[in-house]
Amino acid sequence: MKRSLTFLTVVAAASLALTSCSGGGASGESKDGAKAELTFWHGYTEADGKVLNKIVDDFNASQNEVSIKVQTNPWSVIDDTLLPALSSGKGPDIVAMPAERLPVYADKGAFVQLDDFYKNPSSNLDKLIPAAADMETVNGHKYGVPSGFVPLAMFYNKSLFAKAGITTPPTTWDEWIAAAKKLTVDENNDGTPEQYGLGLPDHATVANGVWPSLFYGNGGNVVKDGKAVVDSPENAQTLKTWVDAIRNDKISPAGLDGIAGDKLFSSGKAAMYLGGPWMSSIATENKIDYGIAAVPAGPKDQAASAIGISMGITTQKDEAKAAAAQKFFTYFLQKEQATAWSLGSGWPPLRSDIPASDVAANPVVEALTKQSEFGRPLLPGVVNSTDVLTAVDKLTQRAVAGENIQDLLKETQASVQKIVDAK
Amino acid sequence: MSTTMHKKTTAAPRYRAPAPLGGRRNPAIGQRRKNIQALAFLVPALLVLGTFTAWPMISALRLSFTDASGFGKEKWVGFENYARIFTDPVILNAVLNTALYALLFTPMAVALALVLALLLNDPRLPFRGFFRTALFLPFIISLAVAAIAWSYLIDPQVGLLNYWLGNAGIRIGNVLQDPVLAMPAVAFVAVWKSFGFYMVIFLAGLQEIPGSLYEAAKVDGAGPFMRFRHVTMPMLSNTTAFVLIFALIAALQAFDQIYVMTGGGPYGHTETVVMQIYKSGFQKLDVGFASALSYVLLAATLLLSVVQFVFFGKREREGD
Repeated sequence: MKRSLTFLTVVAAASLALTSCSGGGASGESKDGAKAELTFWHGYTEADGKVLNKIVDDFNASQNEVSIKVQTNPWSVIDDTLLPALSSGKGPDIVAMPAERLPVYADKGAFVQLDDFYKNPSSNLDKLIPAAADMETVNGHKYGVPSGFVPLAMFYNKSLFAKAGITTPPTTWDEWIAAAKKLTVDENNDGTPEQYGLGLPDHATVANGVWPSLFYGNGGNVVKDGKAVVDSPENAQTLKTWVDAIRNDKISPAGLDGIAGDKLFSSGKAAMYLGGPWMSSIATENKIDYGIAAVPAGPKDQAASAIGISMGITTQKDEAKAAAAQKFFTYFLQKEQATAWSLGSGWPPLRSDIPASDVAANPVVEALTKQSEFGRPLLPGVVNSTDVLTAVDKLTQRAVAGENIQDLLKETQASVQKIVDAK
Repeated sequence: MSTTMHKKTTAAPRYRAPAPLGGRRNPAIGQRRKNIQALAFLVPALLVLGTFTAWPMISALRLSFTDASGFGKEKWVGFENYARIFTDPVILNAVLNTALYALLFTPMAVALALVLALLLNDPRLPFRGFFRTALFLPFIISLAVAAIAWSYLIDPQVGLLNYWLGNAGIRIGNVLQDPVLAMPAVAFVAVWKSFGFYMVIFLAGLQEIPGSLYEAAKVDGAGPFMRFRHVTMPMLSNTTAFVLIFALIAALQAFDQIYVMTGGGPYGHTETVVMQIYKSGFQKLDVGFASALSYVLLAATLLLSVVQFVFFGKREREGD
């Protein structure tokens, strides 16, 4: 009960310790000639982790100036421990984190600015998918290098499709909703379907990208050029369409969150679901015969929010270490490593010059690579993006719960503008 | 203390009284030894307390006047953080939620603990030991485990409780996603989790009441209710006050279980003050603001403790 409070004060104390000694220490650890020893925190704990660690090992073996030591922890643990670690000066030199967390840290000065590195022709960064590079821009500067960028895709249950007599996945919203209705089954007519056409979470999904994808599809947006643009006729239309489908046609349970949505799809109770590469392993584990298709096109546009992971170089160490970390990024983004990483992680390639055919060895990656063009980074450069997405989360939850859409949009517009202005 | 010091410097040349029978030489020296001994025993605890409680508290107070992020530069902002607490609608919402939670949790937990303690204190009840253990059990379970278990029990898709109630024709729906029901639900789980602890305190209190009082009451012709009203309740009042304030303070600091069960949702309806401290500090890296918020919570908790001390003090002076 008291623990959290005490913990926070401990952290506060640790930060004091840092500020009082940051002038003196933390320099000269890697003098010229000596090997630069770097630590690298990441949360790739599955097969992807093995591939990444192998790339790091190969990098260590490829030269004798830099040696990187990897420390793996779940993403949530990294998020919880990074602040205390940085405060006490014991943080990693390189850290990977969900892309939407990067701007907060970058804005507070936790990461080395990488504009020059991006301009360097030998950095391999000019080969990045432009949308993935956009993800790393905060206050007009680059602060990280992506290690993953993937648009949300539609996963569908092939056997449920066959049972309903649907042969191809829907490609437009109209087809999508029609298919979802057909796939929704309420056997005992009690008003609660036993099988849902679609799992459409209204809050707390991974990176909260589901509804922004729908907004984009109808030509809407959330924040544009530093201005809140939530309250638009396009977004009102989008909300109305999908809230109707959830509330009246019951194509998806209301009040669904990301974890429950994953469960719904993996237990075969939802025929369609939006997700990232991890859904394929979840589906395989649960013996779901699944297919992957692009998020169906909206009336105006075909787009999908992209989930990303960013790697930043922490500012706490000396410049030699920052240079060494950049050396690793350059190596990581070489064509050979980038391809191996993509195949191993299940995420599409980060370089635009690696075609889908190069990763055909992994059919999931191949399918996702074909959709990369629809990917849009989620609120790039918006420092308080997590707060904005929380506001959007609130909007969609309340809309699905049946509140007045116009009022909600107006309210969210005001709160999002306030969040954007606060920075 | 001061007399000890005084004697230390002047005692040597003076006449020393013979040691009392039984052997203690100079009572002052003995006292000093005792003090040093006590201090030696206290040092480890004081060091730990100083490092992990007092020092962080002082640091947090300083940080609460800055815009600290936990690393890098920080700027002195005066009372800006404190002003923000009382103007930010999100924080005010969390304050109201915490108050609502305390209002739901405290009376429920205390009343349930009292009723069960009375029941379990009755020697006529068979298997008292078993029931005492069983009812205390939830308190030993880790908060997170209890929260996860209950989340599963009331899950609308796979929940056992929903299934049973559904068979009985009752539909509770998605309780944790319901803006009205979510807070009572998490409060209920907290009550389930912790009433055992308060019950044990009540049991201890009940056992301190001398049986002669009941005998006397019986002789005077008091029935069970009268005995409860005029013997049990007054004799338990100190215990009740302690339990009430303890439960209230626990309610003010609610975090873990709610965080696991709802994460503050649906859309902020179960967000508490400590959750906001966590979010500000660890998610928004706004350590200065989080420290200020911690201090406001600390002030509220201290206020309650003072009320408790005054209450106890008054009762003790009145001589029970």
